[in-house]
Amino acid sequence: MRISSLFYALGQGIKNLLRNRVFALASIATITTCLFVFGLFFSVLVNFRHIVQTVEEGVSITVFFEPGTDEETMLQRKVEIEERPEVNKVEYISAEQAWETFKVDYLGEYAEGFTENPLEDSANLEIYLSDVSKQAELVSFIEAMEETREVNYSTVTADTLTGANRIIAYVSVGFIALLFAVSVFLISNTISTGIAVRKEEINIMKYVGATDFFVRAPFVIEGLLIGVIGSVIPIVIIYFIYNKVLEYVMSRFPTLSSIITFLPVTTVFQQLVPLLLILGVGIGFIGSFISVRKHLRV
Amino acid sequence: MRKRKSTIEIPEGNVITMRNVHKSYEQGTPALNGISLDIQQGEFVFIVGDSGSGKSTLIRLLLRELTPTEGDINVLGYDLTSIRHSRIPKFRRNLGVVFQDFRLLEDRNVYDNVAFAQRVVLESTRNIRKNVPEILATVGLADKYKNTPAQLSGGEQQRVALARALVNRPLILLADEPTGNLDPTNSWEIMKLLEKVNEGGTTVVVVTHNQDIVDKMQKRVITMKRGEIESDEDEAGYMEPVPYMDPMEEPEYDDQSFGETAEIEASFEEAVYVEGGYLDED
Ligand SMILES: Nc1ncnc2c1ncn2[C@@H]1O[C@H](COP(=O)(O)OP(=O)(O)OP(=O)(O)O)[C@@H](O)[C@H]1O
Ligand SMILES: [Mg+2]
Repeated sequence: MRISSLFYALGQGIKNLLRNRVFALASIATITTCLFVFGLFFSVLVNFRHIVQTVEEGVSITVFFEPGTDEETMLQRKVEIEERPEVNKVEYISAEQAWETFKVDYLGEYAEGFTENPLEDSANLEIYLSDVSKQAELVSFIEAMEETREVNYSTVTADTLTGANRIIAYVSVGFIALLFAVSVFLISNTISTGIAVRKEEINIMKYVGATDFFVRAPFVIEGLLIGVIGSVIPIVIIYFIYNKVLEYVMSRFPTLSSIITFLPVTTVFQQLVPLLLILGVGIGFIGSFISVRKHLRV
Repeated sequence: MRKRKSTIEIPEGNVITMRNVHKSYEQGTPALNGISLDIQQGEFVFIVGDSGSGKSTLIRLLLRELTPTEGDINVLGYDLTSIRHSRIPKFRRNLGVVFQDFRLLEDRNVYDNVAFAQRVVLESTRNIRKNVPEILATVGLADKYKNTPAQLSGGEQQRVALARALVNRPLILLADEPTGNLDPTNSWEIMKLLEKVNEGGTTVVVVTHNQDIVDKMQKRVITMKRGEIESDEDEAGYMEPVPYMDPMEEPEYDDQSFGETAEIEASFEEAVYVEGGYLDED
């Protein structure tokens, strides 16, 4: 394979594209639309995920111990729990700390009347999960420990978050698959038309002794070009839209933006740009490959 | 399907060897029925015969566009029965081919049509710039290189096609009715060009219905009939073939003639009689 023939294939691919303008534009428009919708969807999704993650980080399980359990045992349990993969971090809250917090939170100046710590047995472990879907598993592990008196947790929060994550995953996979299939179909149609239009040329090439690779390359390149153009356009559009929307939301709903933090465009694009390019190139390659295989028996 | 290696012997100096070649298309009677044939390097061979007698099928087998149902074909040492698919392009670079309908690319000019053949075999641009004008001069189209096919006469178009077939310097030139769409003057010019190519050492195989040209050129003539070789004559020492007459048909005579001299006309009539209604149907 010489460089010059690579250039030839590239030149021919571009020529095909121009000669086949109407179909090529239609394909580019469709892929742009598909990837644009996908990109928007993705942007919303990563922000949603980001919010869910923030909430998730706040989900905790509190473990209280049987009266008389010494601190050393509790700290040992802390280490055991920390070693589990679904656990993000564990905080040990001694009886004194618990009482201090309680006093500050609820009693204020009335706390003066207490001489002893009424929360003597309230030393506890506060466990933060990295994976809320494993909450039930962790709870049963903790409950099985003999010193455990009580485990406080909320199944509702964990289940909701787990469900939300699962739905997000399913929907995005389904969505990508659908858009991918539609785009591949459209590209392969465009390439087939190109092949039909150039049947004569292809025949002559074969008579003269062009290799299969040489005959096929321009069409695959045409498909790749359509795919790349069809992914660069939505990347640019989404970049502007994303910034505009963020600006708008921040200025219009200042309260909302103080509760939720949105991801900056650079963070989103770190994933989105390669993803869209890969999708575009993949769609272009598979789409053209299918029709080249089907219609170009060289 | 496993490809069988052929075991035939290739006579010294042969560029085309066919042994007991049969070809059947999916439907219908066999197109070729046991063809055996030797063509030596540097020969000029006409292939004639009724419509449907298998001439084009034979050409397409030699191009390895088709594979025989049975029998062996060897072209330039390539065993066409067992040749690997990936080797076919390399094989075809030794052949030039011309068809009745020219098959030029309408969207580009004469120069690019010819250069196309060099580009697809990865010839360097420098060589292309040298070779294309040279071959266009050979076929007498040096001044029309910027024209598109639509701006050329039929004869000129066929000369472009010929230039394209020759620009890669093939060892064998195959032509399937190259003059089928041309008037006598243009037909004759093409034939003269083919003869010139042959004098340069290229083996030339021409399928034609133009009996007149065949007679005038005095070359080897292979006559096909229903997928078989009916006769194989060297016209240089022309021997009177047994006149063939289809009992079901009246012999056809045609007073249309090609060429200017009476001598040609005479041989023309003779040939019509010999071939029994074997004429270009207008
Ligand atoms: N692609 C095909 N599929 C089926 N049958 C075919 C095909 N091509 C040719 N044939 C048949 O094979 C036989 C030989 O055809 P071929 O084209 O070789 O004849 P020919 O001698 O070139 O005729 P002509 O002088 O009209 O060009 C004919 O009976 C034809 O109908
Ligand atoms: Mg024919």
